[in-house]
Amino acid sequence: MADEDEDISHLRAPDTADFDPTDEAQDFRFLDKLTAQDTAHPTLPKRGEKDFESHATSLQLDTLEASRRTMHGVLSWQRTHVQKGHILALYDPKTNMACVDKVKSQHFQTIGTNKGGREWLLPEEALFLIERGTLDCRWPVKREVGDEHVYRTEDGAPMSLQSAYAAFIGFEGGVGGKLTLEMYNVYAGLKRSGYVIFRTGTWDDDRGEPVLASPKAEMQTEPEPGVFPRFFSEVWRRLSQPTHTVSPANLAFGPIIKPGLYRSYNDIYRLLKLIPTHDRTAPPSFILPPSANNPFRVHFDVYRTTARFRKTARGPPDFRICVIDARESPIPTSAQLNDLMAQVPEDRPKESDQPYQRLKHGYRNVILAVVDNGIPSYIRVADSPFEDVKVYERAGPRGKGGGRGGGRGRGRGRGRGRGR
Amino acid sequence: MAAAPAPSPITEPFTISLIAGRYLLFDVDVIAHCRRAHNICGLLVGTIPNLSQQNVFLGIPLELMPEEARVLVDRDAAYVVDDAQAHQTSFAEMSREERLKYMEEMDRRGDEVSREQREMAERRKERALREKGLRRKVLERENSVAESFAESTATDETFQVDDSSVASSGLGFIMKGSSFVETPVTEEKTQVDYGSLSNSDLGFIMKGSSFSDSWVQIKAPKIDSPAAEASLFEPTPASPSPAPSVGSKRSKSVAVQKHFVTPTTSYPPLPTPAKDPSLPPPAVPNSYPLFRYLHSKGYFHMPGLRFGCHYNVYPGDPLRYHSHFAATGLAWDQEFDLLDVVGGGRLGTGTKKAYMIGGEDPEVDAKDKDPVRAFSIEWAAL
Repeated sequence: MADEDEDISHLRAPDTADFDPTDEAQDFRFLDKLTAQDTAHPTLPKRGEKDFESHATSLQLDTLEASRRTMHGVLSWQRTHVQKGHILALYDPKTNMACVDKVKSQHFQTIGTNKGGREWLLPEEALFLIERGTLDCRWPVKREVGDEHVYRTEDGAPMSLQSAYAAFIGFEGGVGGKLTLEMYNVYAGLKRSGYVIFRTGTWDDDRGEPVLASPKAEMQTEPEPGVFPRFFSEVWRRLSQPTHTVSPANLAFGPIIKPGLYRSYNDIYRLLKLIPTHDRTAPPSFILPPSANNPFRVHFDVYRTTARFRKTARGPPDFRICVIDARESPIPTSAQLNDLMAQVPEDRPKESDQPYQRLKHGYRNVILAVVDNGIPSYIRVADSPFEDVKVYERAGPRGKGGGRGGGRGRGRGRGRGRGR
Repeated sequence: MAAAPAPSPITEPFTISLIAGRYLLFDVDVIAHCRRAHNICGLLVGTIPNLSQQNVFLGIPLELMPEEARVLVDRDAAYVVDDAQAHQTSFAEMSREERLKYMEEMDRRGDEVSREQREMAERRKERALREKGLRRKVLERENSVAESFAESTATDETFQVDDSSVASSGLGFIMKGSSFVETPVTEEKTQVDYGSLSNSDLGFIMKGSSFSDSWVQIKAPKIDSPAAEASLFEPTPASPSPAPSVGSKRSKSVAVQKHFVTPTTSYPPLPTPAKDPSLPPPAVPNSYPLFRYLHSKGYFHMPGLRFGCHYNVYPGDPLRYHSHFAATGLAWDQEFDLLDVVGGGRLGTGTKKAYMIGGEDPEVDAKDKDPVRAFSIEWAAL
């Protein structure tokens, strides 16, 4: 068992290896540490010490009771608004959105859309602001017959948190919206983590638009060399790279590599490349017909927080997220993945990266947020360009620390500085 | 938070909100009750209002797995309410009388919060002053200054010193709001301010907080305007609409700001919707029999996504205990990959759990013996 040691080390130290405070249910008693120092920079509490099983001692029961009480206390915090900085919004049943009376909070730098001089909040935005206690959303006043009174927003009944969920999530299907609770969970989770997050496109269609390769990438032609260098390089190319290719029909009869002059192994490897691969230069296209039932579409554009962020000129997002319900969606089919990838722009790895990093980064990538009953798990799916990352062409120091010793390799200069 | 309150008892059956196919709980007492009486934890998915920049501790609402909702419904402990529909009838179609009643309730809650805030500020102030060794007398003088009864600038210097020394302890915010520092206060303005103050502040004074005594004592002799007197002692009831007092609320004093409340639940204050017998019981997946079985044995469950299974099974409240099993529920004759057993077994063993599979034999009569069987798997690591 050569790999046993490796396995054990992997398995026996899960606590230190991946400490993730969100991993398990938290002991709410440790929230005290978070709330006691409310003014300064709060630090996250350490993970609580838990027991393996019940030993029916009073100490254990008391600790549990304390945890439960604290949790109960925290959960009963009320959302209140003071007069100053009171942000009112009116719920609009037709669009299932909220219209803000007067914008007076920093939140609106990264949230909301200005339409017709008024600030509108999408369902997830309104719900999040209500939930974090920033927004006071009101139900519209129902007009009775002959009622001519002009109602202001504050005459409407305040929306409770429960109403907000019922309206912004529950009424969403009734107005043709697509927001699900899973999507909202992901939205709120990322907002709480400090990301700036917007919907991708409008969500009105059954799927997003295919994103063609940016024209900039195609324009990158190398400057034409002069006549003489071109001539010599052409001669050299013909000498060093045999131009003949083998048709599949001939494969059965002749050698793949004909006897001849080969200057390097690369030429031979190139000849050995027989299996056709996906053409990444072709513009992406959809395979499946558009369908509202296909859950694999890009839902959110996510940005890292930067000081100069402006919601009117957002620029390309840092991440693109597709939200998946773990309980209802199986693993995507190849066609679904292709269609999903067609909705994200090309994001090529840097040419200078190591081959493995380039493979990992991929040409296109998207993040799947898999939500199981409120717990999101983020998975990055990338389209790996195996045919472009050729192992035999790799540059840079070979076998780093592989026991060969750098000195000798460097002396011979092999594999270094070899241009592609 | 030293004195965290115990949850108030609730009566069964309680309601489970069904919103867009998900089962949610909004009432904090119901959440506590489910934990204590039914071994049901669910998962908190909401944002805690004052801790909205972190993902470790989450708040209301609580999302129940369909299995959990089903267990509660089958026990007759709860019933499911289609919440979108309920809100459509109760809020979107709210009549004028209902709305005014609701608004009144909201105003009452807002006033309550204002009073609590005020009392808390008072307590903080007292504590801070005690720590500084200052006497009550100083406090009173500051009060009179803070309420924009600035009489002389001579006291200002000494006052400023006091202010800076206690500013960090919550007194500062009263100071900040009052306008006496920037503008020389004329006699007239004081009167106006005072009138508006008393108007919106009346709630506390009438309720006889300790503060009001000293407040009235100090001020009463200095006031010779009958209008102010009248407004001070005229009992104005909390108006259902905030409209009449808008002007007065614009006054700069922070301490008497009106509070608005976003309630957590819709019922109460509204009456709880009745049970709708046409609503089917929560639909559950194949793995439900195993869930029901383990739950009946007193185990607690959490969703299993983090460990690649259906349920994380805890021997007690997950607040206190580590989980023992990573459980996957299967149908009786369902075929599955042997590799799943290896993978689950290794992951479970690595995280100090046992992997568990189980299912229900449809041919066994539940009256004879339990039709569910479960097997735990541990990686032997030979």
